[in-house]
Amino acid sequence: MPLNIDFLQVLLHMLNFVILAGGLSLLLYKPICRFLDQRTAHFDALARDNAEKAAENDRLKAEYQQKLTDAETEIAARKTQAEKDMADIAESYISQAKDKAEAYLTAAEKEAEERKEHILDSAQTEIGELVLSAAQKLLSDTVTPERDSALYDAYIRLADQAVKDERKAE
Amino acid sequence: MNHTKKAKGRTIFLIVWIGLMLLLLLGILILAQHPTEHAETVKQTMRDGVLHEVNKISLFGLEVNPALISAYVVTAVLLLAAVLIRIFAIPRFKLVPGRMQSILEKPVEYFSTLARTNSPNKSGFVGAYVFSAGLYICLSTLFELLGLQAVTTEGTSIALPAPIADINAAIAMGLLSYLVILGAGLITGGLRGMLGVLKDFSLPISMSFRLFGALLSGLLVTELVYYYMTLSFVLPVFVGVMFTLLHAVIQAYVLTTLVSIFYGEATEPKPKKAKKEKSPKIKAKKAAEQ
Repeated sequence: MPLNIDFLQVLLHMLNFVILAGGLSLLLYKPICRFLDQRTAHFDALARDNAEKAAENDRLKAEYQQKLTDAETEIAARKTQAEKDMADIAESYISQAKDKAEAYLTAAEKEAEERKEHILDSAQTEIGELVLSAAQKLLSDTVTPERDSALYDAYIRLADQAVKDERKAE
Repeated sequence: MNHTKKAKGRTIFLIVWIGLMLLLLLGILILAQHPTEHAETVKQTMRDGVLHEVNKISLFGLEVNPALISAYVVTAVLLLAAVLIRIFAIPRFKLVPGRMQSILEKPVEYFSTLARTNSPNKSGFVGAYVFSAGLYICLSTLFELLGLQAVTTEGTSIALPAPIADINAAIAMGLLSYLVILGAGLITGGLRGMLGVLKDFSLPISMSFRLFGALLSGLLVTELVYYYMTLSFVLPVFVGVMFTLLHAVIQAYVLTTLVSIFYGEATEPKPKKAKKEKSPKIKAKKAAEQ
């Protein structure tokens, strides 16, 4: 054969390569390919999982943002309400205080009036007593039986005179 | 301090320079006194490098080329390594690969991607095939660098060459690759698919001779360089290693890419021919008949 081609040796080389290819395929290529595929599948699953989690996170974030906004709105509304309530309560307290003050004032005025009257009454009694005692003291010095009878007489005359005048007038 | 370093460097340079000149002078003197005597002429050496007519090795009584022995040695080593890797390394693979795992994964990943890219319809078998072929061509070419010795039938010693440097190995690879492509065409497209592949009858020849020629060119240059003793200082190291490394990578790449491309073409689903629409005349005739 030209170029020293020997078909027996060609076949021997082919047999050699077939053995090698089969062995390498079974021992190295397929197991490593299987491992690579498993790893790719594992990382794909992880990536999918991460994407799902990221989407879930975004959803939760939006939800929490919404809740936060709602809460802020509610807080603002409650604050306004509380301020209003506080103002009402304060007004009510002030009103009650005013009423109480007025009542206290009225009571005080009344009490003062009563005390004044009481004081005046007691003062009149005392004055009367003083006048009486002063008059007794004065009279004890001047009153005699003769003077008393003269006074009674004078009173009777005056009374008679008054009756006569009334009759005349009628 | 700096000055001392400079002086030291200059002294080393002078020693190396003078030593090199003395060595070269010695070589020239030896060569002048003992002119090179070869058992074979350069023509015979080159012819044997190409045809392997002279140096044969006995394989169970069969006289075979040394390249066949190289091929079986490479296969044995590769299979042994594969068994060890399968038993000890692959079960310990981790999700985040270490250095060793990456070295094992990379070729598989590369050839698998090559097969999937060029043959998207059926890539399982061709992936395994190109992986084996690529690994075989690359490592068997590098095997030449080891320079393992074998004894010829004539009792002389010979360095085992790269298997693909033998035309028989190159033909075997080319033929096998063609048969794989042909088989894929037959399985996918039936007889029509096989005929589609058969029209590329030059493929096994081109594949075989591309491999053989590429390896042979490097071998011839290296043989030539080795033949002349005056060229055999330092130069063969660069020439031999450079050719071997380049061919190992380039030929593995070329053959695997070609096989995967042709395989992809052969397994491509053929579009079914659309049924011809009946002409208006025939339609009218049929309507009239009805």
